[in-house]
Amino acid sequence: MEFAIFFLFAAIAVIFALVVVLHRNPVVGALSLVASFFALAVMYVLLEAPFLAALQVIVYAGAIMVLFLFVIMLLNLSHAPEAPTRPVQQFLGYTASAAFGIGLVYYIAKYAVSTTTEGFFQADAHTIGVRMFEAYVFPFEMVSILLLAAIVGALYLSGRALPRPAATASQPGDEVSK
Amino acid sequence: MIPTSWFLILSAILFTIGVCGVLTRRNGITIFMSIELMVNAVNLTFLAYARQMHDVHGLIFVFFIMAIAAAEAAIGLAIFISLFHHRDTIDVDEANLMHW
Repeated sequence: MEFAIFFLFAAIAVIFALVVVLHRNPVVGALSLVASFFALAVMYVLLEAPFLAALQVIVYAGAIMVLFLFVIMLLNLSHAPEAPTRPVQQFLGYTASAAFGIGLVYYIAKYAVSTTTEGFFQADAHTIGVRMFEAYVFPFEMVSILLLAAIVGALYLSGRALPRPAATASQPGDEVSK
Repeated sequence: MIPTSWFLILSAILFTIGVCGVLTRRNGITIFMSIELMVNAVNLTFLAYARQMHDVHGLIFVFFIMAIAAAEAAIGLAIFISLFHHRDTIDVDEANLMHW
């Protein structure tokens, strides 16, 4: 039963990941990536990490991918002309990534440790929280400051300049209001 | 119990698909989604080894990676919005101001 679930959702994750890479429409790609992340959340449950599975659904599938979809809608990309393909670049990219993937899978299958430690592994939210606030308080606070900096940076980068007061609006060299 | 190496192989496949997307696509948003795919493949590896080693640190790492990926997505998408305002495209080949 466990193995059937693993193979089913592994196939879902891989197929939707392929759709992300191969489909030309970024909206389809973003929705496929959401599906792939849901399948990965099932993988996290199989790995006995239900807290991170919930985080995967809430943060990745819920927040980050919605951000992607909003940006795609904002840019209105469906009217953009189709870019001409570059056969040499495409061929080199596919060949290099295929060689990389085959090598990676081969060496993992050959050398990765496949014996699992016996015993019960407790990885629920309580354990993670205790460990995090015992040993990782400082990185936790640093992450919150990083997120604040990311908010400020994203607002600065993406916002068009607000309309200036009339006294300063006509100054030359005002790049931001371009 | 599913062997750890199966999860590692799945992670390797997903990472390879992400690499393929970064190398072959030129739509900036799609490249960015491929990067997210690679980040998730690495998260899966962390969790697989955390279960094998019976160690919570891998899960805490995944937690931090998720937070940093959120920050990265916000900044990257803001950069693409800015690029679109200036160039009217998000084709990464068009962003060649620093090209030699």
